Amino acid sequence: MTATATRPSSTIFRRPKSTEGFWGWVTTVDHKKIGILYGYAAFFFFIIGGIEALILRIQLSAPDNTFITAGEYNALFTMHGTTMIFLFVMPMSAAFMNYLLPLMIGARDVAFPRMNALSWWIFVFGGIFLYSTYLFSSPEPPVGLTTIAGNLDPSELGWLARGPDGGWFCYQPNCGPFYTPGHAMDFWALGLQILGLASLISSINFIVTVFNMRARGMRLLRMPVFVWMSMVVAFLLLFSLPIIAIALFMVVFDRQFGSLFFAAQAGGDPILWQHLFWLFGHPEVYILILPAMGIVSEVLPVFSRKPLFGYAAIVFAGAAIAFLGFGVWAHHMFSSGITPVAQAAFGISTMTIAVPTGVKIFNWMGTMWMGKIRFKTPMLFAIGFLAMFTIGGLSGVTHSIVPSDWQQTDTYYIVAHFHYVLFGGSIFGIFAGLYYWFPKFTGRVMSERLGKVHFWLQFIGFNLTFAPMHWLGLQGMIRRTWQYPEEAGYGPWNMVVSAGAFIIAISIAVFIYNWVVSKRRGAPSGLDPWDARTVEWTIPNPTPEYNFAKVPVIHSLDDFWHRKYDEDDDGRAVRREDADETIRTLEEEGRNPATPIHLPAPSYFPVMMAAGVPTIFYGFIFHTSIAGKALIVIGALLSISALIGWGMEPLEEPAEHH
Amino acid sequence: MTELVHAHDEHESTGIENRKLGMWAFLSSEFLFFGALISNYLLYSNRPFADSVVPAEVYDIPFTSVSSFVLLMSSLTMVLAHNALTRHDQNATGTWLMATAMLGALFLGGQVYEFRTFIVHDGLKLTSNPAASAFFFLTGFHGTHVAIGVIMLLSLWGMSRRVGSLSERHGMNLELVGLYWHFVDIIWIVIFTVVYLLSTPV
Amino acid sequence: MTEHSTDHPTPALYVKIAVLLAVLTAIEVALYYVNRAIELGVFNFVLLLALALLKFLIVIGWYMHLRYEKKMLSRFFATGFVIAMFCYGIVLGTFGVLAITRS
Repeated sequence: MTATATRPSSTIFRRPKSTEGFWGWVTTVDHKKIGILYGYAAFFFFIIGGIEALILRIQLSAPDNTFITAGEYNALFTMHGTTMIFLFVMPMSAAFMNYLLPLMIGARDVAFPRMNALSWWIFVFGGIFLYSTYLFSSPEPPVGLTTIAGNLDPSELGWLARGPDGGWFCYQPNCGPFYTPGHAMDFWALGLQILGLASLISSINFIVTVFNMRARGMRLLRMPVFVWMSMVVAFLLLFSLPIIAIALFMVVFDRQFGSLFFAAQAGGDPILWQHLFWLFGHPEVYILILPAMGIVSEVLPVFSRKPLFGYAAIVFAGAAIAFLGFGVWAHHMFSSGITPVAQAAFGISTMTIAVPTGVKIFNWMGTMWMGKIRFKTPMLFAIGFLAMFTIGGLSGVTHSIVPSDWQQTDTYYIVAHFHYVLFGGSIFGIFAGLYYWFPKFTGRVMSERLGKVHFWLQFIGFNLTFAPMHWLGLQGMIRRTWQYPEEAGYGPWNMVVSAGAFIIAISIAVFIYNWVVSKRRGAPSGLDPWDARTVEWTIPNPTPEYNFAKVPVIHSLDDFWHRKYDEDDDGRAVRREDADETIRTLEEEGRNPATPIHLPAPSYFPVMMAAGVPTIFYGFIFHTSIAGKALIVIGALLSISALIGWGMEPLEEPAEHH
Repeated sequence: MTELVHAHDEHESTGIENRKLGMWAFLSSEFLFFGALISNYLLYSNRPFADSVVPAEVYDIPFTSVSSFVLLMSSLTMVLAHNALTRHDQNATGTWLMATAMLGALFLGGQVYEFRTFIVHDGLKLTSNPAASAFFFLTGFHGTHVAIGVIMLLSLWGMSRRVGSLSERHGMNLELVGLYWHFVDIIWIVIFTVVYLLSTPV
Repeated sequence: MTEHSTDHPTPALYVKIAVLLAVLTAIEVALYYVNRAIELGVFNFVLLLALALLKFLIVIGWYMHLRYEKKMLSRFFATGFVIAMFCYGIVLGTFGVLAITRS
């Protein structure tokens, strides 16, 4: 039987018709395609961020090294951090959320499909805008000074130094117009502005989707933990992004229009920047980790063949972490000169956040306890997450003790901490998700053998890279500096660290190979390759365009599991006799909807409206020229006309008669 | 005949229409946006800047009071437009929409006049000192929000004239624009009191 | 089905509310001038904020219709406000602006 999702036939405004091919992807409003687009774009930036890291590690592998210049080093670590956070982890989380959220709540799409596409396009244009700094900037010394960064002549700085070089946090007034003239910092600030806009739009979409588009019976406390974490992240984004938006506008205004928000000599306060940045920056790190925690909460029960231990506790702990996350930001400012009262208060609030985090960790362990563990690749990464994130969390708790933090600040100890939670946590969680849901995206399974090679290489490489940073930091190795002296004795361990980084790189190469080969020739997965628990596994793989042939009715948490398994008197799961038949029926019915399903039609307006945004911002950067002013006008017209067209375009086109 | 199933069956689990919920979520986030702007102003307006004019010294309270009144009345015309729509009175809807847009434009005109006076007559510019920067930044962003609102109002007015009758979908759009417009008004309520009336030069 | 809140104020009520808002604004402005003449100190501060808050809530409750909507919308809306007050209150406090921690 043919799939019966209807496609629009009307050609009003010459609306795109096709969902296949290049234009099908450009104009798509399908959450699954958008999720895939996010995934590939994010992974591309992961590679770039990784290459930046490798260059940094080559430079740091030996003392007094001159592989790159100081200016290049500064730009590279700035771009590495910015890329990994805003262009890899956040979009990759968005990839999972986009693809899976509707599937997990029994919906056919998100609340606002075209806005969803708009988010992706704004993100992509934002990433390109940010990196175009390398085309348009050149490093200049501050006014009145003739050299920068290590007393090097600007002309010797190298091409890579053209990027923004103030760190991903861009402290003021160091990154202001006086100390950092030139365009690079404006590309950074406006680039982040664009990316923030994409995430804000996404967050509204996800909140409304989760609140409003759940299938019948899918009560909030029956939703998968991944959905809960995604919703919490959406709220974090909703409330933290406006803060950084204002802060970034202040930076741009200082740099472009002569305002004096952070101009210290004129009475501007540098600490204001720190407050505003970290008011965003701290919720941001929870935005980075909660999706991975959600993924792990899905993977652990399936591969332990046990329900998630303490589902409600994990859900509320996640919400508590987010809520408390708005109360700890100044722990990034303990050494910036805030008052002792403030230091004490934030130290205490930071310690409190360890509590819900600990609740989650114990509940995950409780999930595995006495379970029948299957050590498949997704499970390996989930367990790796558990161990590595715990280590990162423990070093984090040591930061909450203020005098201890004074010693740790600006050393490699901090670098170790956040890489353990962000790489050991978020990235391990992401890989767990990629292996776990690969069948949903492609209908095949990834190679277990290669998966295990990837995991062990990455695990070993990761620990070789970041564990030594703990003691290097405590010995006094300072971060964000391009060289360290021979006499300090950091050389040998740094060599180990750099070697570890290359092992990570090899492991990623293994992953890429596995992905490509499995996509083409992997074993077909069938409907339920992992014997899973949640609703997204009740439909055929790869996911049909309409998701559900028939929207399910949900009767409990882990509804799919209960359709396959009963519990005996000891509470152990016993597979029902009709389980296999259930799966066969689901497969059959999933491919053959009884009634035609009308899906939202593709649209040009999201990409058109998105294109206006970087245009306007390019105009801001070059606003002193006629071309710049013209760009602002063109960009505004583009976005406004796209918005008007969008407002007049119906979501679905009238169906054609058969 | 097989019945067509729509992927986007509006069966909201909360009973609140999707776009309405989305707009309220967006407006909630705007508190963080304007909160930063207002806090920034409060921080710097509390500090002395020698040899430099600060905003608190040059406010024209009577003038700004009139602008505030204008914006408040535009909220009235906005709800009257919505009310007219629920009574299916096309003409009245269009009229009240235009009235709201006009009052909003009048408010903006007042802002422009005020800024010009500050810049040209009083020597208070964005670049004068951090307090001045903060003032123009805050009121500038608020004004931008008003301008965007005016554009949306005029678009709605245009639609009501061309399409002939605002459908239920457009009716929701009017309600959404209304929510946005009232929000911009309540922000001004805060700004007028906190920034203008409570500001004393240090 | 989308629930339409059936309770809608009449145009007459809307106008009355507008008059109330105008009166409150007039009181605020009057208070400003009174304070210029005779220093009211904290009283001025508290009263002006109270009046502003009243106008704020009236517009939200009646013009934005929140009084008649589902409670969830009020909670949504209030969340942003609460987070803003909390975070910015602390920031301003650390700068000594709110005079709480000023020695």
